[in-house]
Amino acid sequence: MRALADMIWVEMRKAVCSRLPLFTAAGSLFLPLGIALLIFIAQNPESSRKLGLVGAKANLLAYAAMDWPAYLVLTAQMIAAGGFFLFCLIISWVFGREFVDGTLKDLLAVPVPRASILLAKFVVTGAWSAVVAAVILIASLLMGALLGLPQGLPGVLLQGSALVAVTSCLVILVVMPFAFFASAGRGYLLPLGMAVLVLIAANLVAILGWGAYFPWAVPGFYAQNQGDLALASYLIAVLTAVAGMFATYLWWQRADQSR
Amino acid sequence: MVAAYGFRHSGMHAAPGVHVMIASDIIQMIQADRLPAGRRITTVNLAIETQDLAKRYRDVTAVADLSLRVAEGELYAFLGLNGAGKTTTIRLLLGMIKPTAGCARVLGTSVRMGSREPRAAVGYLVEMPHSYPELTVRENLEVARRLHPGTPRQAVSRFIERLGLAADADRRAATLSQGNAQRLGLAKALLHEPRLLVLDEPANGLDPAGIVEIRALLLELTRKQGVTVFMSSHILAEVARLATRIGIIHKAHLIREIDVEDLERDRRRRLLVRTRDMEAACRVLAAAGQPVEMLPDGALELRNAAAIASPDDIALLLADAGVPPTHLVVEEEELEQYFLRLVGAKEDVT
Repeated sequence: MRALADMIWVEMRKAVCSRLPLFTAAGSLFLPLGIALLIFIAQNPESSRKLGLVGAKANLLAYAAMDWPAYLVLTAQMIAAGGFFLFCLIISWVFGREFVDGTLKDLLAVPVPRASILLAKFVVTGAWSAVVAAVILIASLLMGALLGLPQGLPGVLLQGSALVAVTSCLVILVVMPFAFFASAGRGYLLPLGMAVLVLIAANLVAILGWGAYFPWAVPGFYAQNQGDLALASYLIAVLTAVAGMFATYLWWQRADQSR
Repeated sequence: MVAAYGFRHSGMHAAPGVHVMIASDIIQMIQADRLPAGRRITTVNLAIETQDLAKRYRDVTAVADLSLRVAEGELYAFLGLNGAGKTTTIRLLLGMIKPTAGCARVLGTSVRMGSREPRAAVGYLVEMPHSYPELTVRENLEVARRLHPGTPRQAVSRFIERLGLAADADRRAATLSQGNAQRLGLAKALLHEPRLLVLDEPANGLDPAGIVEIRALLLELTRKQGVTVFMSSHILAEVARLATRIGIIHKAHLIREIDVEDLERDRRRRLLVRTRDMEAACRVLAAAGQPVEMLPDGALELRNAAAIASPDDIALLLADAGVPPTHLVVEEEELEQYFLRLVGAKEDVT
């Protein structure tokens, strides 16, 4: 337990001292601010007309987020897609940096079990992603309040926030296999490339109507259906996380580390 | 058991009349299975032991049939050209890669990938000394300390001082010079005061002063603290000043193991002679039964042991024949020449 606590300290220290906070803060603020800007443009027809095409798209978005419930569903969907990329970036960095910086070898022949080292990395990835999701939610709530969206009742805000929180948890679960991609690919390229592929696949699967059963489509499906999700879908997300973590562990434990 | 035998450079002093054996003697006796009854040494005394260790990557053989024995307290240099298999061997010893064949034992424990034993007692530096660039020197050492539970907090400051990193302690590792990055790598390897140090080219990137400093540090560790050091290098002259034994690896095979003391005996010597009349001198020496060769620069070269042992006899012979030497010198083969000769000899065999 002490070893795990030490490893969490180590991973936190590495993350805090890196550029990761800067990138993730920029990413987490960019999404709600961007949507708020488009809604603001749509709410001001004069500006909307002057902006032409952008104004048309902004109108479309404002139609989708014309009140608090719809706005928070949009925020949850934003986390299912944009948040997914941010979380993939975090997990790719936490695992892939050991290969890119050549520091992996310093973790391989030490008395601390590799399971503790990996678990600490997963804990920090999860915690960091949760903080990013919280920042997105808080920024979205502030922007919604500033825009003066209707139906801002406490119950509605609480329900919408819970939708965003659960969507975030589902996304965090389904990004866990990307630790394996970062390890097997020995860097950032494979996990980030896979993230693009998986997101495209998730959209295709959702169009075909199987979104509830494809792990990476589950968060978007959950957000779109406003929390209406079968137990099997939750299980799929959890199993995806467990399988990803286990595959990563096996790879770290058994693969030749010759670089 | 170890103390009873004593080791060269181990800092242990035998009582008068006590026979002191050096590590390589013990190893030779183990190999020949002729240790005296009751003094049979067990593998506990071996810090490293490999048996037919091999690593192949598809068609490429990185290490083949490697059988090594390094006694505790020994400073063993593993010498080879780039790509000879030194780093692969080190990674095999540290359990970072799976052997294709054979096995290795380190500090009495079989090496297995991902196992926790005997990690706590082993310090290592493999290839380039990488550190977390965004962390300071002190923070990097703190990370290393936490990776070795039980290492006291004070060890960080102590090794910052010991490795001469005090001025850079709070600098980010990304801004360190190559020499200081190497010092940081060595500090990480030493921090938990291991019984066995496995170092891959430890002098890489160090300036001459740094090399002398690290050499002194390694000698101190082996002599005063009985630490076993297994270090790789591609410079024979460097390790000859430091090691007790040298293993030479070439094209994945261990081609030679030699005690440093035997290096002198093993290196070729020659007697070079110059006179005012080289042709006449050559005839005189040949007539006296001395195999002599005239070199392109005109000097006469004698390689037979008797001539090398008694150059004064040669001088007398030439002086009596009326061609006294103007230049008479016994030359010893350069270490690097010796190394290249060994490597070349192996190539001829294969």
